[in-house]
Amino acid sequence: MKKLIFLLSKEFRQIRRNPFMIRAIIAVPVLQMLILVPAVTFEVKRIDLAVIDNDRSQASRELVAKLTGSSFFVVAATPATVTEAESMLFSGDADIALVIPPDFSEGLAGVTRPRLQVLVDAVNATSAQLSWSYLTSVVRDFNRDVIVSTGMMPGNTTALSGGSVPGISVSPRYWYNPTLNYKYYMLPGVLVILITAIGLMMSGLNLVREKESGTIEQINVTPVMKWQLIASKIIPFFIIGLLDLALGLSIGWLAFNIPFEGSLLLFFACAAIFLVAVLGLALFFSTMASTQQQFLFVAFFFVMIFILMSGIFTPTESMPLWAQQFNWVNPVAYLMRINRMVMLKGSGFSDIMRDMGMLTVLAFSYLTLAIRAYRKRA
Amino acid sequence: MEREKVIEVKDLVKRFGAFTANNRLTFDVYRGEIFGFLGANGAGKTTAMRILCGLSRPTSGRVLVAGIDASRRPEEIKKRIGYMSQRFSLYEDLTVRENIELYGGIYGMSMKEIVPRREALLERLSFTSYGDMLIRALPLGLKQKLAFAVAVFHDPEIVFLDEPTSGVDPVTRRQFWEMIYETASRGITVFVTTHYMDEANYCDRITIMSEGRIVALDSPSALLRQYGTASVEDLFVKIARPQKNTV
Repeated sequence: MKKLIFLLSKEFRQIRRNPFMIRAIIAVPVLQMLILVPAVTFEVKRIDLAVIDNDRSQASRELVAKLTGSSFFVVAATPATVTEAESMLFSGDADIALVIPPDFSEGLAGVTRPRLQVLVDAVNATSAQLSWSYLTSVVRDFNRDVIVSTGMMPGNTTALSGGSVPGISVSPRYWYNPTLNYKYYMLPGVLVILITAIGLMMSGLNLVREKESGTIEQINVTPVMKWQLIASKIIPFFIIGLLDLALGLSIGWLAFNIPFEGSLLLFFACAAIFLVAVLGLALFFSTMASTQQQFLFVAFFFVMIFILMSGIFTPTESMPLWAQQFNWVNPVAYLMRINRMVMLKGSGFSDIMRDMGMLTVLAFSYLTLAIRAYRKRA
Repeated sequence: MEREKVIEVKDLVKRFGAFTANNRLTFDVYRGEIFGFLGANGAGKTTAMRILCGLSRPTSGRVLVAGIDASRRPEEIKKRIGYMSQRFSLYEDLTVRENIELYGGIYGMSMKEIVPRREALLERLSFTSYGDMLIRALPLGLKQKLAFAVAVFHDPEIVFLDEPTSGVDPVTRRQFWEMIYETASRGITVFVTTHYMDEANYCDRITIMSEGRIVALDSPSALLRQYGTASVEDLFVKIARPQKNTV
């Protein structure tokens, strides 16, 4: 135990003397929170329309006015032909091409059913679907107005709002994130990315750097025990990870006014277990690498996979089965779920017990792996 | 009078795959002597020394260091030895005092024991004014001397020095060897590998290795007499050069 204290004071002295480390410890959480939280969003705020109005009637102008009135749609151009509109979609100047047929107003008058043609740039499937659903809901509103004004479908106008089936009104209440604020969804995830990056990179690089400089050989020839050495490499970055998490969370409060429904204690307890898992993994990787480049390559590879598969952007439930099975050993996936549940839903211990338990098993396993893989000899 | 053996090596073999780095080495080292380990690059000196330090396991053979079996309890050996590698290995971003404190602490000393010994050591080396300087700010010669002082700070039974004087100027080398003598006079056995043949003369006994085998082992003067050469350098060239014509 006394030896561990000597080793720890060495680590903290080295961290304190390293201006890069000090800057990284402060700058990484600040920049990640301020950049990633507002930037990473699937919200679609501006849709560029190419309108081909073959009808040129009062009705077609009303439809376009209704679209542009919704704040999502902007008429980027009014090309004369569909070919022209297609090339605008191709060049990215338009997101949606809306083709209004020549018999549009006639149809509305009840002669034929009018058909609109919509071409959507679906390179990004998510934003294409969102744009599409915005457009259809505006068209639905337009339909309803027509029905009301022509009196073809008599009835209470308010009863018709929102739903396509007259008479039934669906008014959703969005629980846990009532304003559908995307930032609230992303912020708990960005906090996980933050401590993953800090935990995995800093601690692993630290040990590999000692390999490169040769100091680790001097330590290996001393009677220091493996667990003492591993503990001295984990504890400083464990503390830094928790400090950075607190810093990131504070920024979330100050800059984005993020709600925090659950228990702070539970939140930090889970993050602590998570950090042990990630630090164990980092040390395991660093026992296999002999240079900092090698370590960075391996660590970066795993960080990418862990984060992308963790469910930060896409729900893990809709991933293929093998991906869901992979997430059994992905610590990031557990904390991603836990953070969102605790922060947004106010989930308590009993709600996240299973995830927390699995995370503990992972932490224990990765730490054991690191201790076993570490050799005090060449 | 039978002298006490502090290292006993019998038929030590170390193989890396098909390559035999140490081929049936047998030698003893006595307490308090300065034992020189010579050999061309790649002769197997460092491999043997790493086994003696518990950093590597022998493939076969018997290795006792301070009475402890190196194949079975290498961690026990580590408590009783000091080690200074050819790569300079104090922490560059710690001060002189902090480095001494760290290694003292690692070998189980308390701050109460460390502080007075540390200050006495700095005094003896006239290093007191460097005490709070970072290692990276020191010239190489001072670093090497300090690394040696740190390697024996905890009073080990044996100290292993792996080419400790490579790259330092002649004056510092002379001072370094004075430190080695002073250490040996305290009863600490010194096991040293070197490239400098003149340094071989400073040793009580030397071993010359070639291609994984020991080709000579005796006091420098006895070896000169035996082979009829004028200097250790001539001796080394005569017997330690790999037999190129047989390959």
